[in-house]
Amino acid sequence: MTNTRIPGLGERPPVEFTFASRSVVAQAGDSIAMALWATCDLTLRQSSRDGAPRGVLCNMGICYECLVVVDGVTVRACTTLVRAGMHVELGGKP
Amino acid sequence: MAETADLIVVGGGIIGCAAVQHLAQLLPRSTRMVLCDRGAIAGATSGSCMGHLMVTPDDAQEYAFTARSVQLWRELNERHGGFDYNPTGALYLADDAADIELFAVLRQQFIDCGDRADILDAKQLRELEPGLAFDLPGALFYPGDGVVLPMLACRAMLQEARLHNPNVSVRPNCAIFGVRRAHGRVLGVDTAMGPIDAPIVVNATGVWAPDLAEMAGQPRLPIYPRAGNLAITGHHVTPIKTQLLEVSYIRFAHGTAKVDPTRTDDLGGHAVNMQPQTNGGCLIGSTRQFRGMDRTLNRELLHRSLLRAQRYAPGLAAAPIVRTWVGLRPFSIDKHPLIGPWPGLEGMWIAAGHEGLGISLAPITGLLLAQQIAGVKTAIDHRPYLPARFAP
Amino acid sequence: MSADRVLQADVGIVGAGPAGMAAANVLAAAGLRVVVLDEGHRAGGQIFRQLPVGSHNAGAIAEPPSHHHGHALLATFDQSRVTLRCGASVWDARPGRLWFEQDGASWLLRCRHIVLAPGAYDRCIPFPGWTLPGVLTAGALQVMVRGFGIVPGKRAIVAGSGPLLLPTVTALLSAGVHVVAALEASSRWRALRALPGVLGNGARLSEAFWYARQLLKAGVRLRWGWTIFGCEGDGRVQRAIIGKVDRSGRPRRETAQTVDVDVVGAGFGLVPSIELGLHLGCTSRWHEGGAGHALVVDAEQRTSVENVFAAGEICGIGGAEVAMAEGHLAAHAVLHAVRGTAVPVAVRKKARRERGAADAMLRAFAPLPGLHELAQADTVVCRCEDVTLATAQAAAALYGSSLRAIKVGCRAGMGPCQARICGPSLQALAGREPTRAMDLPVVQVPLKAVRSETIVNAPPA
Ligand SMILES: Cc1cc2nc3c(=O)[nH]c(=O)nc-3n(C[C@H](O)[C@H](O)[C@H](O)COP(=O)(O)OP(=O)(O)OC[C@H]3O[C@@H](n4cnc5c(N)ncnc54)[C@H](O)[C@@H]3O)c2cc1C
Ligand SMILES: Cc1cc2nc3c(=O)[nH]c(=O)nc-3n(C[C@H](O)[C@H](O)[C@H](O)COP(=O)(O)OP(=O)(O)OC[C@H]3O[C@@H](n4cnc5c(N)ncnc54)[C@H](O)[C@@H]3O)c2cc1C
Ligand code: FES
Repeated sequence: MTNTRIPGLGERPPVEFTFASRSVVAQAGDSIAMALWATCDLTLRQSSRDGAPRGVLCNMGICYECLVVVDGVTVRACTTLVRAGMHVELGGKP
Repeated sequence: MAETADLIVVGGGIIGCAAVQHLAQLLPRSTRMVLCDRGAIAGATSGSCMGHLMVTPDDAQEYAFTARSVQLWRELNERHGGFDYNPTGALYLADDAADIELFAVLRQQFIDCGDRADILDAKQLRELEPGLAFDLPGALFYPGDGVVLPMLACRAMLQEARLHNPNVSVRPNCAIFGVRRAHGRVLGVDTAMGPIDAPIVVNATGVWAPDLAEMAGQPRLPIYPRAGNLAITGHHVTPIKTQLLEVSYIRFAHGTAKVDPTRTDDLGGHAVNMQPQTNGGCLIGSTRQFRGMDRTLNRELLHRSLLRAQRYAPGLAAAPIVRTWVGLRPFSIDKHPLIGPWPGLEGMWIAAGHEGLGISLAPITGLLLAQQIAGVKTAIDHRPYLPARFAP
Repeated sequence: MSADRVLQADVGIVGAGPAGMAAANVLAAAGLRVVVLDEGHRAGGQIFRQLPVGSHNAGAIAEPPSHHHGHALLATFDQSRVTLRCGASVWDARPGRLWFEQDGASWLLRCRHIVLAPGAYDRCIPFPGWTLPGVLTAGALQVMVRGFGIVPGKRAIVAGSGPLLLPTVTALLSAGVHVVAALEASSRWRALRALPGVLGNGARLSEAFWYARQLLKAGVRLRWGWTIFGCEGDGRVQRAIIGKVDRSGRPRRETAQTVDVDVVGAGFGLVPSIELGLHLGCTSRWHEGGAGHALVVDAEQRTSVENVFAAGEICGIGGAEVAMAEGHLAAHAVLHAVRGTAVPVAVRKKARRERGAADAMLRAFAPLPGLHELAQADTVVCRCEDVTLATAQAAAALYGSSLRAIKVGCRAGMGPCQARICGPSLQALAGREPTRAMDLPVVQVPLKAVRSETIVNAPPA
């Protein structure tokens, strides 16, 4: 899907990273969660007990629903900014 | 007019719940049984601990005590489940070559008890637990241990009790503030919800057992709170699958070295105990310190035990810690729990003082207590645990 | 190694929202060394959220009139000599000390005085399907649009209660989203109770008119007495079931209808972020009407703990005007403590006036107890631990009705969010009368989940 950014705000430099082994191009200053929202990747983790898909709930670091694994470390996707070359994996059930 | 019951268990921790379960199984179905806790069921020590089901092979009696209890846990799981029972076995880890010597000793103890344990070299250890530090020289694997979630297990125990006896009444938020008695006999208790008459009262109040004894006009029992700091990680971060502990833990936690719980200057100590959770989290302990009922975190001790955990499982360094807390182990002065009647007051029974093994020992404690109250032969020799040893 | 990870300041402020910034500006102007810590990546807090550096909002995203206060505040803040640490999570504190994690490193801020301005977060009330990706809090949608310039979706529903629904709707409209419906659970008559707060207050009145105009322009009608009953979809939200509620908020199931959507924003008011204050030992109070616990402060924003001040949402939900006025006042109270200067009467009066108006608003939109009937037996109430309503109710029945009892009885609230999401409605859901004061949560370090090594490497006090 395209056009997932509001036009007229000014483009920021591109930042490339991988999500689940797929390449994603975001903009500097994006949080991981919002960069993935822009590419329509809403599922960020699977729930502990039944593996159901979960994504952003609060978008401000409170709920921990957006936990992903970045280069082996579990972080909140909504409070962590994208970095070039980072490897992001779904959080939750391995 | 006071409510009447046949039996009151005071304390809804793991010990009180196990007592109710076994009493319901052994006493007639018509027995009116009440379980009172001043707070939540499993709200005190049994909700602030780890859930390692540990078999200790120190001697034949100790082995029978712990192994039989762990067997009862297995059976409860088969009948009920719902408390994250996980028969992981236990890995005793060595930090360096000197620790390795302890493996042979411990292994021989298991063998002497008619059980087994396997010494793993560094390569075998890595195959079993790839997340551990590369330089670990090896481990001792004992297959009989397991892990449970103690607070959820309380529910299974109470459900089991109700299957046998629908008259079991469970009352959270119902504090006992007096034990009524006459002519050397228990008559009942005063509770926050009114008095209850009953000829039998079981004191299963953990670290508060001395207070309840005092309420009954008896001397304080020699049970002292021994604080432990714990930390829990987030989900799906643990690099381990097995219950892990430093082999030196044995000496630290269950050693025979003399400790004085009344000292006010105990700096405390720690030995690593790491427990995988079914949600992929890791529970990290454990420290021990006597400092009264104080439940504030000892940051210094916690830092040291986290550091130690990282030494064994380096991946834990980056794992998010979600919460930390302090639990109070009910330490009995001679390191054995008190299970049985109190000689000074007829109808007064005790089941308390399990220090760091109360989860492991809850089922056998419930069973031994119920068998004594029912007047039937006990499953194992119950005499080492009789409270009478502390009677004046 | 930790020696260089220690900051010194006269005042440490937690939160770079309107309250924190207002306080920082006054203190810095008076020549004090001020360090502001915020978990977000730019100053602004929830309401004056800024786009990432490099993007500019030149009118693309509509802003209510009050936001010119925000611009002025931010401009002063940017020029002041305040040290701002962004991406900094405060995880431990005691009077005069704030420990925080930033970029995975462990830091300590030593400061004589602390001003707590950590704001609030959305109150969630569980409904079937609320765990589906694409169902967010109302606040989350605002962050997405105003903080990151991302389009949330094509067709949205906004549901909940309270004045925050309006900025959420306008944010969606700015992003070109078709807002299918905006549902306010309170009845129009109940909302009238907010009038005294609005009428006596010119700024609030013009703000209300501005929002009304935005909705009118876009043809979005606010439906009073409606809410969301549930969401459905395969792997993400695709449909919302909406309907009317009675005066107590109980769903009237016979009115249910289904609409196609690809994003849902739900917010039933805000919960003050008091954890840090509780951890420091500050006294709190229960806001009658069920709006939650807030810190108690005296007439000049002092908490019950010496040298710890609080301002903004942490003292009770009130919005940006209250936050700024209280931040201002807190700064003067700090100056009084440091220099003995008198707190200007006008500053104190302004803060009390704003707070009074806000309280009227809060009463009008106090949580409706009947909304707790939206959840069904198999609805997940604790998302971290995947606990369903039926399980939580069973736990409350056996273990007791306290927060602690429900927690140990079924694990609800034990996960990484530490009951911030489920806690505010857990007791009401699991059987206790919803209007009774809920238990105060017991907080422990770390106040936000941090790395094990952050704890181990924490610089000594
Ligand atoms: C950090 C830590 C780690 C541990 N790890 C393990 C482990 O891995 N394996 C293991 O086997 N054991 C472990 N333990 C030990 C175990 O937790 C305890 O031995 C056990 O929980 C004690 O249970 P209890 O029922 O005696 O006490 P509690 O759970 O404390 O129950 C006593 C109850 O009595 C109630 N009560 C007190 N006074 C009154 C009154 N006047 N009226 C009504 N109610 C009253 C209290 O509210 C309380 O709920 C650990 C303990 C700690 C602290
Ligand atoms: C998403 C959202 C949208 C809102 N929109 C409006 C609106 O349009 N109009 C309105 O009047 N009100 C709105 N509000 C209400 C809003 O809370 C207040 O108006 C105002 O922002 C409160 O100011 P504050 O300074 O108290 O807190 P905030 O603005 O919330 O600022 C608090 C800051 O503290 C930081 N913080 C919190 N805890 C920590 C910690 N442990 N470590 C480090 N940093 C921390 C947060 O990241 C945040 O940036 C909104 C609230 C939310 C949640
Ligand atoms: S979405 Fe809630 S913490 Fe990230």
